[in-house]
Amino acid sequence: MYGRTASQLLRELDIADSDNLQAFNSDTCDQVIAECENHHLMLQSLIRKLEGEQLDIQTARNEDHFGAVTHHLSLLRNKRCLMAYMYNRAEVIRSLRWKVGAKLPEEIQEKLSFSEKEYFKNHSAAIESSMSELDLDLTVDMVPPKDPYIQVRVLDDIGDNLSLGDHSFSLTKNSVHSVRRTDAEQYISQGLMEEFFA
Amino acid sequence: MVSTAAGATSSGAGLEGEEGESIWGEDDASIAETTDVELLKRAWRNEKAAPEILLFEAGLVQRAREQIQLLEETVEDFVENGTDDLIVSLYQMDLDRSLFLLRSYLRVRLQKIEKYMFHISRTDLWNRLSEQEKKFSKRCVNAMEKHLEQSVLSRLPYGYQSILKQSISSEEDDMVPEPKLDTFVFCKSKGAVGAFQLDDVGDEIVDLVSDDLYVLRYKSIKGLVEGGRIDLV
Repeated sequence: MYGRTASQLLRELDIADSDNLQAFNSDTCDQVIAECENHHLMLQSLIRKLEGEQLDIQTARNEDHFGAVTHHLSLLRNKRCLMAYMYNRAEVIRSLRWKVGAKLPEEIQEKLSFSEKEYFKNHSAAIESSMSELDLDLTVDMVPPKDPYIQVRVLDDIGDNLSLGDHSFSLTKNSVHSVRRTDAEQYISQGLMEEFFA
Repeated sequence: MVSTAAGATSSGAGLEGEEGESIWGEDDASIAETTDVELLKRAWRNEKAAPEILLFEAGLVQRAREQIQLLEETVEDFVENGTDDLIVSLYQMDLDRSLFLLRSYLRVRLQKIEKYMFHISRTDLWNRLSEQEKKFSKRCVNAMEKHLEQSVLSRLPYGYQSILKQSISSEEDDMVPEPKLDTFVFCKSKGAVGAFQLDDVGDEIVDLVSDDLYVLRYKSIKGLVEGGRIDLV
């Protein structure tokens, strides 16, 4: 059935919840693009046939006309599905820039296509240049602040004598510190610290 | 207790001629509506709740940034002078809150531009962006176009390669995601707007009383939001 392969792409989007990416399905994409090519060939041959019979394409209402319309609409449908697939994935990829940061972890990287990785890089660059023009980091402060200081637990050895704000800390694994929230946020989003609730 | 203290410090740092007791004693509400922090909070709330991008509050953002800088300097001075830790942390708190508001406001806008980049760059919504947001929007569009071009569009047959149209036979740009303007929003009017016609036909008329909460379609009160007569919550 025409358009079925393309709809599988959308089903894939639907299965993964909004924050989760599945691996880029390049096989199915290739299949759908090949299908488009096929529709186009059929469409052209039907149009040529109509023209060969000296019929006006706009007004002729025979089986070849409706065949051509079917191929045209199937092609459109395939295109919409492909674009929706790419576009929605791109939306998730953009949101990762805000949530995770400029460097994506390996397990996410491997789910992206080459072009998607490039998109992430380019879009990241757009956000970064925008923030540097503003001279304000917009990726911190994602939730309204309750207290200027928070307790954090260090999840991985980050370093000795690191200065956070006005003080320096020795951030060794499993140590607990009371630090300024804004200073800790970057480490939290990288998964190197977590907020500690005693 | 903390929040009043934070509010008082911000208005003190923000506007000239306001001095503690006398003003807070008189009329809290009217003062609260005129400080830049309150104005920023309102702009931020409206921006968060509106489905489409609103006019950039250039002057307000500029003032907020100056005040934040001032606060930062104050906090630094306090730290150097060894002022009481409690006072410092209250000021720090106020600073953090203002910074959050500013960051969140700018962030919400950038994320809206990301979401509706094609729509915004093709309509007069474009004029609502700041210069720097326009640049961002252009770069967004470029990156997105390149990505879609190389992964899908260039591989489709001739006549089906447009990013804005489904095919060359489409008369309008029918592939551009647009904000849903008929979505419902919560809103509250500041002053009495009076009888307000919700649709073009004039079947539905609502009497907007001041300070009452309404749930209405965004597109019907769009003009009131833009004119600053009603606030989204």
